[in-house]
Amino acid sequence: MKNTLPYLFAGGLALLAAGSAQAEKRTLVISAYPIAQPLFAKHVYEPFKARCGCDIVVETGNNADRIAKLEAHRASPVIDLVLLSDFGMLEAANKGLVAPLDYAKLKNYGQIYNFAKNPIGGNFAVGYTIYSVGLVYRSDKVSGIKSWQDLWRSDLKGRISLPDVSTTQGPLMLQMADLAWGGKGDDYATGMQKIAAIKNNVVTFSKNSAQLSSLFAQDEIWAAPVARFTWSQLLKTGMPLKWAIPAEGQAAGMNVMGIVSQSKNADLAYQLIDFWLSKEVQTALAMDLVDSPVNQQVVLPKDKAEFNTYGAEQIRSLKFVKPELILKQRSNWIAQWNKAISK
Amino acid sequence: MQKKHVGILLVMPALVFTLACFLLPVLALLLEAFQIDGGAWGLQRFVAFFGDPLNRQVFLRTLRIAVLVTLSAVLLGYPAAQAAAKVAPRYRGLMLGMMILPLMVSPIARTYAWIVLLGRNGAVNSALQALGLSDEPQRLLFSELAVYVGLLQLLLPLMLMSLVGALENLPRDVTHAAATLGANAWQTFCKVTLPLTQEGLIVGGTLVFTGCVTAYVTPALLGGPKVLMLETLLYQKVSVESDFGSANVIAVILVVMTLMVNAGLKRISSSRSKV
Repeated sequence: MKNTLPYLFAGGLALLAAGSAQAEKRTLVISAYPIAQPLFAKHVYEPFKARCGCDIVVETGNNADRIAKLEAHRASPVIDLVLLSDFGMLEAANKGLVAPLDYAKLKNYGQIYNFAKNPIGGNFAVGYTIYSVGLVYRSDKVSGIKSWQDLWRSDLKGRISLPDVSTTQGPLMLQMADLAWGGKGDDYATGMQKIAAIKNNVVTFSKNSAQLSSLFAQDEIWAAPVARFTWSQLLKTGMPLKWAIPAEGQAAGMNVMGIVSQSKNADLAYQLIDFWLSKEVQTALAMDLVDSPVNQQVVLPKDKAEFNTYGAEQIRSLKFVKPELILKQRSNWIAQWNKAISK
Repeated sequence: MQKKHVGILLVMPALVFTLACFLLPVLALLLEAFQIDGGAWGLQRFVAFFGDPLNRQVFLRTLRIAVLVTLSAVLLGYPAAQAAAKVAPRYRGLMLGMMILPLMVSPIARTYAWIVLLGRNGAVNSALQALGLSDEPQRLLFSELAVYVGLLQLLLPLMLMSLVGALENLPRDVTHAAATLGANAWQTFCKVTLPLTQEGLIVGGTLVFTGCVTAYVTPALLGGPKVLMLETLLYQKVSVESDFGSANVIAVILVVMTLMVNAGLKRISSSRSKV
């Protein structure tokens, strides 16, 4: 027993030392979408951890869940950096949940597209990825898809799927329907009426990209609006599919990052945002088809460009829905949609 | 220590856990549905909810599908359960295993199987065309019919298990006695089997009905936005609109529906036993 005491004492000291070293290591908590987290870990979190000597914890969920959580911890935030859709971030900003950014602290800010800079106003966010929503169709069954109006064609009756308005892509579709049919107001009333008029032509109003894939794979549908990040997945169905950029342009969505109000790790969050916007990280994420780049210096080979929202033609075609419009109208759109569609 | 006290002590951990982690939070959540802006209490949220024609329609659709599925489960469940209860004990285990097999498959996988089966090129449409019942593929998916079929398959095992349990406890002599006294099979079922197995029917009926009004995956995937039900509407209110007030109202309606069906089934059974 006598002999073991010094060892126990030394062991205890070593444990204490390790504990205090552990205590000094800071932890950055990120709130993000659950999709592709292993690839984000590979291209963003792990390299950043090695740089900052800190730990990263990721909490995932959809927009609404994560905003609710930010609100619940308003007084003592547990999240430092939050990734949301542009309108989700505007909602968080309106509730005072995120702090204005000092863009001067981001070295790579100058390299990103103008539309990704201060995308929701008030300096609350920075865009980190974009996606287009174009039209995908079965080239063996239909031809001449050139406009959003083609979804109303009689030969596509019972062979199309449209995104449900409650999804992120729903308002984007509504915008393009409104634009294609000459809508004038900000409420997209024309688009709503036009979609309601063909509700019986629509096989289903899809909720996610996996559902869209199975609808194409099982020959249920021949055409649908599709987000660019789903394109590679759709081609795996083995169906002869083509992507069309309609004459009116493509709907566009953007995801943004913001720093939570009163975050104790704001300095680390700035460093991670800057790292995320860097050419290297944006290229790596685009090469693995995780996120399309907002950094203009990213150069992608043709086979990867095909599956990203990338290149002059894609970027030129983008039509963004104003985030404040989505926030203002969303409940109204859902109510109208439910009444028109769920009868 | 008295026997009674031992019983209380034994049940205490489970009781405390259920109270603290389930009943109290759920009660607090449900009570919010009766709170109106400004902190006062009232039924205004419910009046507003049922004042909307769409909500009434969604409520009636949910009720209709749940009642139809429950009745169908009873109709399909009794013969199958009787067969299971009558087979030799060595085969009964196998039969019961086959009955509960669907419960061992994830609801998402089962629902996706229905998407394949009910699709334009699925087995059901192929059979309809092969039998000459239809010239072209019918739209079966994303309809009330698809939700009904999916829920029935999902919940039928619960009815079967309840009925098999009840039928196993039914003394065989009583049905033989009824037959000896001249009752036919239908009379025996109505006058003897049904009253003596009503507990199983009540449990099974409540489980199936509750399953229908709380299942999310099946109506979401097989019905979609065109077949909005209370559970999918609740999800929309919480996850898209962050409208927790309306979501609480729907949650209360679902709980009340379940309690009323349970009470209704008990009432029917007690009135039958008095006959």
